[in-house]
Amino acid sequence: MSATERDEILAALASPAVTAPTRAALLARLDARYERQHFTEAEFDRLRAVAVRLVPHDPAELDLSGLIDHRLQLRQTDGWRFADTPPDGQAYRELLAALPTNFEILAPEAQDATLHDLQRRHPHTFEDLLAELTEGFMAHPLTQYRFGYAGFMDAPGWPQVGPNELEAREIRYGK
Amino acid sequence: MANDLRASLTDLDVLVIGTRAGGAPLLARLASAGLRVAALEAGVRHKPAEMPTDEVAQASLFWMDERLSAGKDPLAFGRNNSGRGVGGSTLHYTAYTPRAQPDDFQLFQEFGEGVDWPLEYADLAPYYDEVEAFLGVSGPADYPWGPPRNQPYPHPALPLNGAALLMERACHELGLRTFPAANAALSRPQQQEGYGLRPACSNRGFCQAGCSTGAKASLDVTYLALAEARGAVIVSGAQVTNLIREGGRVVGAHYRQGDQMLSVRAERVVLAAGAIETPRLLLLGGLASGSGQVGRNFMAHVGVQVWGLMDDDLRPYKGIPGGLISEDTHRVPGLVGGYLLQSLGVMPVTYATQYARGGGAWGAALTEHLSHYNHVAGINVLGECLPYEHNFLELSNELDGRGLPKPRIHFSFGDNERRMSAHAEALMRELWARIGAREVWALPRAAHTLGTARMGHDPVSSVTDPFGRVHDEPGLWICDNSTFPSSLSVNPSLTQMALSLRTADALIGDLVTDWVRVGA
Repeated sequence: MSATERDEILAALASPAVTAPTRAALLARLDARYERQHFTEAEFDRLRAVAVRLVPHDPAELDLSGLIDHRLQLRQTDGWRFADTPPDGQAYRELLAALPTNFEILAPEAQDATLHDLQRRHPHTFEDLLAELTEGFMAHPLTQYRFGYAGFMDAPGWPQVGPNELEAREIRYGK
Repeated sequence: MANDLRASLTDLDVLVIGTRAGGAPLLARLASAGLRVAALEAGVRHKPAEMPTDEVAQASLFWMDERLSAGKDPLAFGRNNSGRGVGGSTLHYTAYTPRAQPDDFQLFQEFGEGVDWPLEYADLAPYYDEVEAFLGVSGPADYPWGPPRNQPYPHPALPLNGAALLMERACHELGLRTFPAANAALSRPQQQEGYGLRPACSNRGFCQAGCSTGAKASLDVTYLALAEARGAVIVSGAQVTNLIREGGRVVGAHYRQGDQMLSVRAERVVLAAGAIETPRLLLLGGLASGSGQVGRNFMAHVGVQVWGLMDDDLRPYKGIPGGLISEDTHRVPGLVGGYLLQSLGVMPVTYATQYARGGGAWGAALTEHLSHYNHVAGINVLGECLPYEHNFLELSNELDGRGLPKPRIHFSFGDNERRMSAHAEALMRELWARIGAREVWALPRAAHTLGTARMGHDPVSSVTDPFGRVHDEPGLWICDNSTFPSSLSVNPSLTQMALSLRTADALIGDLVTDWVRVGA
């Protein structure tokens, strides 16, 4: 996250166009980091290596793997799972274990080839992991800034909703 | 305080379990009739002003106890198809409130497949009128589908957002009629008894993460506010673990609130916990087992979405999400029943996770796609799902945090649903192609939880009578979408609220008859 990105995100969150509960949620997420608790170190390294291939991101900016570890440690679920898969933590462990032992040191293209194979062999768990990483990615203020998403600045409402009818704060924000 | 609450939970005429579209209007009706009523709600209160514009932070609006999804088309729950909180799933519904059409209730008569309802459109029409007026539904002055209205919608239609305007243009090019959709969000301020002044909608398109202004007619700011103003007691954070049966009657419920196990008794118990938790409680208690129909005939609407990438900057987070409707596909040759078309705005995380699950793309292809979020527009269908033997809910051997068996839900589309989905997808792809979408993709989907305790005349083939009285459990009523015999080809909330008032009127009649008999 460049200094400019950070400044612009913080300025937007501080503006009166953002409600207090929205500001609190997004500020807490901006720098959220989690200490590994659920997975072993080896498992976690592998999870992170998989995560950056599935949803390309810089783990120093977005701790998407840590978010998963944290969620599993709190024993939270997303309300459902495929009946043919074990509970999330075990399912993710088995998924990671199904990769070749040298996965972390493979070239990116070779990693992707093994991941395509993994997707074919374990479609449900693969889908769950991909969706969870995607949620963490899309919900992060930095991603939202980079994608020019301004929907959280809604305190004044949106008087115009038609195509290309943008408020100044929507035009200004992000890339 | 605790003593006050205990005192208010004694000598109850009616106990309602759940505060969603089935329980809430009924609770208000009973309280208004002077009955002593209370509701137990597993979730907590979510005040509008405390709701962040953020999907992840609003996860507490959903039922996050794990459910197990089986079958060829396993259904997503959690963020989809569940709700938790005072107001239930109406806290996060889009407020899309079309009425069912008369022929929806007579599918078997028309096609020889599916099931007829044990009631007609005419039975519900006055209740539809009443609910729309009370909620303050915004809708068009003229509406070409269904019977003529007795009264206009109380408020003018809400403005059309980017997706709605593009779908309107595409439909007209193809010769399909469209109209601004009925939505239970206010286009003008409205006074609401027990709540206060609800403002006009600010076009904040985050309805599915909770309305932060009170403009949307979730039940907390409408029927539940009325119920409490008229004396009903709502106990939040109270999860029912079992019903109490004594002397051949259902007389109350055990519930857990925090660390405490408590119970409450009433003359009548109304189960209004939805098509998953209602059959789960019945199966846990071995209740209403006479017909063998509890948990059977689970249905979820055909809900395929087709998205287009547009040159226009659309900002899908703005405006009421389902702004436009077409019911020209209400009947499609070759299909049993039909579907409606709905324009679709969407919140970013919902869009992203659905795309990740449905598209199968990952890596740079995924993030590149998501970077165009501001330029996507969707169309969604809502179509008939037939009841099948192979779709049902059962208790699994796996226990949840309270030691109760998790429900397992089996769901697979039948031939009609597959053909309907394909028909709808082809039509929507053509619509977006007509207006020059750069890319078009489909996300297969099913929506809403229906069936599992169907109503009917015959106790051999149904769980409740046409008003919601459980055939073989004196004292117990059901008032939620588990009683739907067929799915109807519209979103269920409005019809559910109309059914709720109808059940309430029957329940009042029942109690009065009892009292007259005792008095005599």
